[in-house]
Amino acid sequence: MEFTLSPEQELIRTTARDMCTKECPPSLVRAHMTDHSVASQPWSALKQWVSVADGSMADLCLFLEEAGAVLLPGPFFATTSLFMPLLRSISSSAGGDIAGGGSTSSDGSAQVADLLAEASAGKLTGTVALAGADSRWEVNDGPIKSFVPEAERVDLIALVSGGANSASVTLFRSEDVAIRPVGTIDPSRRLAEVDASGAAPILEPMGIGANIVDDLLARGCTALSAELMGTTRWLLDTTITYASNRRQFGKPIGSFQAIKHKLADVALLHEQAWSSVYYAAMCIDANDPARRRSAHVAKVMASHAAIRCAKEAIQIHGGVGYTWEHDLHLYLRRAFATEDILGTSDWHLDRLADDLM
Amino acid sequence: MELGWGPEEEAFRSELVAFLDREAPSEAVGRDFSAATDEEGIPEWARLWQAKLFDNGWLVPGYPAHLGGRNATPAQSLIYAEELASRGLPRSLHFPGYAIVAPSLLEFGNKRQKEMAPAALRGDTIWCVGMSEPDAGSDLASLSTRAERDGDRFVVNGQKVWTSYAMWAEKCFCYVRTNPDAPKHKGISVLIIDMDSNGIEVRPLRHITGKAEFAEVFFTDVEVPAGNLVGDLNDGWRITMGSLAHERGGLWVQSVAGLEHAIESLIAEARDLGISSDTSVRRLLAREYAEVSSLRSLGYKGFSTFARTSASPEHSFLKLASSEMTKHLAEVGMRLEGGLGTTIDTTHLGRPGRWAATLLASFAATIAGGTSEIQRNIIAERILGLPRE
Repeated sequence: MEFTLSPEQELIRTTARDMCTKECPPSLVRAHMTDHSVASQPWSALKQWVSVADGSMADLCLFLEEAGAVLLPGPFFATTSLFMPLLRSISSSAGGDIAGGGSTSSDGSAQVADLLAEASAGKLTGTVALAGADSRWEVNDGPIKSFVPEAERVDLIALVSGGANSASVTLFRSEDVAIRPVGTIDPSRRLAEVDASGAAPILEPMGIGANIVDDLLARGCTALSAELMGTTRWLLDTTITYASNRRQFGKPIGSFQAIKHKLADVALLHEQAWSSVYYAAMCIDANDPARRRSAHVAKVMASHAAIRCAKEAIQIHGGVGYTWEHDLHLYLRRAFATEDILGTSDWHLDRLADDLM
Repeated sequence: MELGWGPEEEAFRSELVAFLDREAPSEAVGRDFSAATDEEGIPEWARLWQAKLFDNGWLVPGYPAHLGGRNATPAQSLIYAEELASRGLPRSLHFPGYAIVAPSLLEFGNKRQKEMAPAALRGDTIWCVGMSEPDAGSDLASLSTRAERDGDRFVVNGQKVWTSYAMWAEKCFCYVRTNPDAPKHKGISVLIIDMDSNGIEVRPLRHITGKAEFAEVFFTDVEVPAGNLVGDLNDGWRITMGSLAHERGGLWVQSVAGLEHAIESLIAEARDLGISSDTSVRRLLAREYAEVSSLRSLGYKGFSTFARTSASPEHSFLKLASSEMTKHLAEVGMRLEGGLGTTIDTTHLGRPGRWAATLLASFAATIAGGTSEIQRNIIAERILGLPRE
C-alpha cells in the first residue's frame, strides 16, 4: 500500500503544474467565454502530454489535477479520459469473445489500434457520446446523445448505443454529424447534443460488453474527479491566502475561529475526496474488483468537496467574492457543472446502493 | 502509488491470523473497543489475553520481543491493527498503560523507570494518567495541581478529573505544576504516584450512559519520592505530546473499522425494518458509506506519509472526521428506526431501539482526546498555516 508519489510521479505533477499555469492563465479562461478558438493555444503545448494516458491511471490523474486547477478548456480531458480508454478496451478485447454480443472484425480492430496511436501522439482528438436527453450515463438506443463533452472541437466522436444486454460503438467524424451546443453555467467546458442519424460512420459498428461501458465510466469518473481536485485545491489555497491577508477589526480574518473552522472543514473534505480519487485510480491500475465501487465514491466525494469549497470560498471572500472581476465564480461554475457530468451524485449513490444493499 | 501489500506483509498476516484464530478468547471477539466500566471491572479473561499477547510478541508488534513485540515494520503494524479491528478484538480493556505510559517511560524515563514499561505493557500494573482538571480541559497547560519540593520528596495537592481507570489503577502518571511563576507550559512536570499513597481519594464519575470508566482523583498532601520525577523538572509539557511513534501510522484503523461496522449494521437494519428499497434511505446510506470509505483511503494516505516522513497531518483530519461520524451514524440509526428510535423498553416492545445507547455513548468521541473545535484550530493553524488568534 503506497499512497505517496514516486519520484517520476512528482515530476509529472511539477511539469503539469508549470505547463498548465503558463499555458492557461485566467485571462485565457475568460477569453474562452466568448471565443472558443483560444483553447487551441494551450492544446498545442499540452498535446505532447496526451501519452500520459497510456500509463497508469494515477499518472493521468496527477496531470488532470493540474488542468483542473487552471480550468483548462479544450479536448484534453475528453480525449485522454473518455475516447482513448474506450478505443483501448475495444482494441484489447478484439479477437476474444466480447460479452454481450456484437463483434469487431480484425480489420476494424487494427484500424482502432491505429487511431489510438494517433490520439496518443496528440494528432487526433476524440470524445464519447453516451448519455441520452435525460442526462443519464446509461447505454440507450435513442438516436440523439446529449451532454457530450467537447463534441464540436474534437476530430472523432465514439457513439455508444444499444440496450441492456448489448451495446455497440460507432465512430463518426464530428463534421459528419449534427452538433448543437448545450449551454451550462460553466463556460470553460463545452457540452453538446449529437445527432448522428443518417451520418456515415468511419468504421462499422463494433459490439462491446456491458463491462467495457462500466469500466469506461469508472475511468472517466475517476479522471473527472481528479480534475475537480485541482479546482478544489485552487479554491482552498486562494481562500487561505485571502483570509491570511485580509484585515478587519485590526486582525487578519483568518485568525478568527469562525473562519478557521470553516476552512478546516473544507480542507478535511478536500483530503477525504483526494484520497478517494487516488484510491480509485490505484484500484483501476490494479484491476481490483472494487474499482467501480471506488469510482462512484470518488465522484460523489469530489463533487461534494468542490461545491462546498466553492461556496465557502465566496462567503469568506465577502463582497469581492461575488464580483465578476474575481476569478472565484469561474471555479464555482466549474464545480457545480461538473457534478452533473458523467452522472449526478444521486445517480452514483443509486449505483452504490445497488452494489451495497 | 500502488495498491496492496508485499509477500512479507502477507506472511506476517498469515501468522497473526493463525494465532488469533487459535488463541483469541470468545469474550474478546466482537467485543469492539468499549472500555471496561465499573460494572464489570477488568475481567480475568482480559488480563490473561493481554498477557498472552505480550508473551507471544503480539501486543505491540513494532516493539522488540522483551517489550511484547517482534520488531514489525510500520506496514506490518498497520496490518495488525486491521486484523484486530476486523474481528472487533481489543488487546486490553485499559489502554493508558500500554498505549500512553509505557511509550512515555521508554522515551523519557530513567533506567529504573524504563524497567517499569514491560509490566505496564503486559497489564501486570494498571495505570491511569492524570491530565485534565476541572479548570484545565482543552487548555491543559493551565493545570494547577501543585507539587512542592520538600527535601527528598514532592508534596502534591489538587484535583484531576476524567481520569480513566483511576478506580483500579495502581499507579498514576501525573502531570503537576512544579513552578507556578514560569509561563504555563514551562512549569509542568510528570510524577509517578502510587495510588495507595495516603491522601488520595478516588470518586467514580458517571457518563451520560449511567456507567463509569473514569473518575475524579483528589490529592491532599500526598508525598511522592523525588526519584519518581519523569524527565527533567519543569519539562513535562514535552511529554504530553506523547510517543506512540511506532503505532501512529495505524491509530486510525480502530475508529474507521468501527464506522464500517456501523454502516453494515445500518444496512442490515434498513432491511429488517422493510425500508431498504426506499430511494431516500438508499441514497442516505450510500452517502454515509462513501464518507466512511473516504476515511479509510485517507488513513492509508496518512500511513504512507507517516512511513516516509514520520509525520502525517492526515491524523488530525482523521480524528476530527471519525469522531464526528461516530456521533452522526448513531443519529442516522435512530432516524431509521422512526418512533422506536428513542425506546429502550425490553419488556413491552418486541424490538426496542438499537441506537439510543450508542448515541449517548458517542458524545465522548468529539470531546475526549481533544475536542473537535481544538482539532479544527490545530488543522487551521498548523496545517493550513492560518494566523493564530
